[in-house]
Amino acid sequence: MAQIIKKKKNKNVQMVKAIIFDIFAWSYVALVSYKVIYDKIYLDNRYPEFTWNQPLYSLYFGLALALVLFFTPLSLGRGMMGLIEVKEDETATSKPFAFIGYFVIFLTFLTGYFASQISMKEFMSEQGLEGAKRIFKALFNPNFQIFEQGLFAAIETIYMAFIATAVAIPIAFLLGFFAARNLMNQSKITFFIYNALRAVLNISRSIEPLVWAIVFSVWVGIGPFSGMLALCIHSIASLTKQYSEQIESIDDGPIEAITATGAHPIQVVWFGVVPQIVLPYLSYTIYRWDINVRMATVIGLVGGGGIGNLLMQYQGQARWNEVGMLVILIATIVWFMDWASSKLREALK
Amino acid sequence: MLEIKNLNKVYPNGYHALKDISFSVPKGEFLVVIGLSGSGKSTMLRTFNRLHDVTSGEIIFNGVDTTKLKGSALRKMRSEIGMIFQHFNLIPRKTVLENVLTGNLSRTGILKSILGLYTKEEKERAMKYIDIVGLKGKERNRADNLSGGQQQRVAIARALMQNPKILLADEPVASLDPATSHSVMQYLKKVNEELGVTVICNLHFLSLVRQYAHRVVALKAGKLIYEGKPSEINEDWFKTIYGEEAVEVTIN
Repeated sequence: MAQIIKKKKNKNVQMVKAIIFDIFAWSYVALVSYKVIYDKIYLDNRYPEFTWNQPLYSLYFGLALALVLFFTPLSLGRGMMGLIEVKEDETATSKPFAFIGYFVIFLTFLTGYFASQISMKEFMSEQGLEGAKRIFKALFNPNFQIFEQGLFAAIETIYMAFIATAVAIPIAFLLGFFAARNLMNQSKITFFIYNALRAVLNISRSIEPLVWAIVFSVWVGIGPFSGMLALCIHSIASLTKQYSEQIESIDDGPIEAITATGAHPIQVVWFGVVPQIVLPYLSYTIYRWDINVRMATVIGLVGGGGIGNLLMQYQGQARWNEVGMLVILIATIVWFMDWASSKLREALK
Repeated sequence: MLEIKNLNKVYPNGYHALKDISFSVPKGEFLVVIGLSGSGKSTMLRTFNRLHDVTSGEIIFNGVDTTKLKGSALRKMRSEIGMIFQHFNLIPRKTVLENVLTGNLSRTGILKSILGLYTKEEKERAMKYIDIVGLKGKERNRADNLSGGQQQRVAIARALMQNPKILLADEPVASLDPATSHSVMQYLKKVNEELGVTVICNLHFLSLVRQYAHRVVALKAGKLIYEGKPSEINEDWFKTIYGEEAVEVTIN
């Protein structure tokens, strides 16, 4: 009986989700149709006027349309929530609601086309092609006189990435346990810590290392140290997430077995959890170093030191032969790190 | 040795897994628990060493109600009850010896065990139990490279390392082939008869039950519906326990 009530309640929740989904889908269709199909294509406005009334009216329109169409087979929301019955000899992709979905995707594609200001005319313009030719010519004519300077900067970048990874490992290792749901949902206090930690990690991960580098270049000054700190923050957040997901996916069996011997919780973690995660951890960590080297070059562009910094300087002076040299160096490093890390990770399996 | 009184277990999602179960297990017995999958056998076994908590009822072990124990008292109780599992649950990438030594964790200090500083006496005991389960010479092999039957024997040695008064076995042969199944059951019998350890074992195959059990209890939908000698399970009882449609499969 309790289960039937639960099922019914569950269905109601699904219905509410479905109608909210429908309202937003139709509002989106209305707004995008107005802005792109009417304003851009029909009126051919270069800079269409925007007022906040437009999304508001779209929302009203979407609400009305959603309420009218909710109980018809055209309700995308009900289709997505699995509330429209699909018979055994049919597929969901051929149902009417699916075509609404295709239409939404088509509209999104159209909007993207206009938002990116794709223009074949400019891509193929004579003046533009001339400029491209000039740059490519210089790039393929690298200035080997700065090879040494570039190499030292590249070495700086690699070591910066290494230190950033190395500092992140122990911190992420510890935090990984606290960010693993299966270890932390035992009591309310630990589950609160879990949620708080997850929130902090998600926020710090969603701030790009590029932004961190800008923050730290003001804080500790321009140079490799600020780049290293930026990479470190990002690595801690990313590694903690990957580590904790690894912990969440481990086999419960050994944990149960070690618990059954009467071992202390610390021993349970050490003998039941750690042996299962060591190799995947190593693999993630090497991959992170690889990513960090790549990111370190980009971070250099905003004052994070290393080869990126050098690239920025020469690019600013439009010295394309020197830039060509640095691009070759960066490509070589990235290719080598990619190759080495995939070999290493393969060997660890 | 073990007395179970009015045991109830309700899962947080409202599923009533064990319903008012009472029985007792005398010292030295080889007790087998039978029943369909989902009848509550595994849950019941796990309440005995508190891998699962009970909702109500008592489990008297060594004269103490174990359902209320906490912290080090709980760990001490667990250390006196060994357990083996269907999927062996050994620690991957560790040697047989290291796996067996984990059976002694409750008596090794935390730091010592993490640093791997086991005493000579502990290692000798581990070797003795590895010998008892017939794996002499395999101490340095990685446990996950052994065959299923051998892994289950490592698990038995690990449980013996605890010096248990009771050995719980949750479907110990369910993922093994028939010949290996008998070998593992023989070792459980040996542990029961020669070392005097009380064994409580969940089994699927009635042919194994008849061969090894001193006494049988049967669960159906969380209720205890049969308690008696294995030889007394006739056709009628079989249909009651496993359902009208069931046909007995034997393993030789």
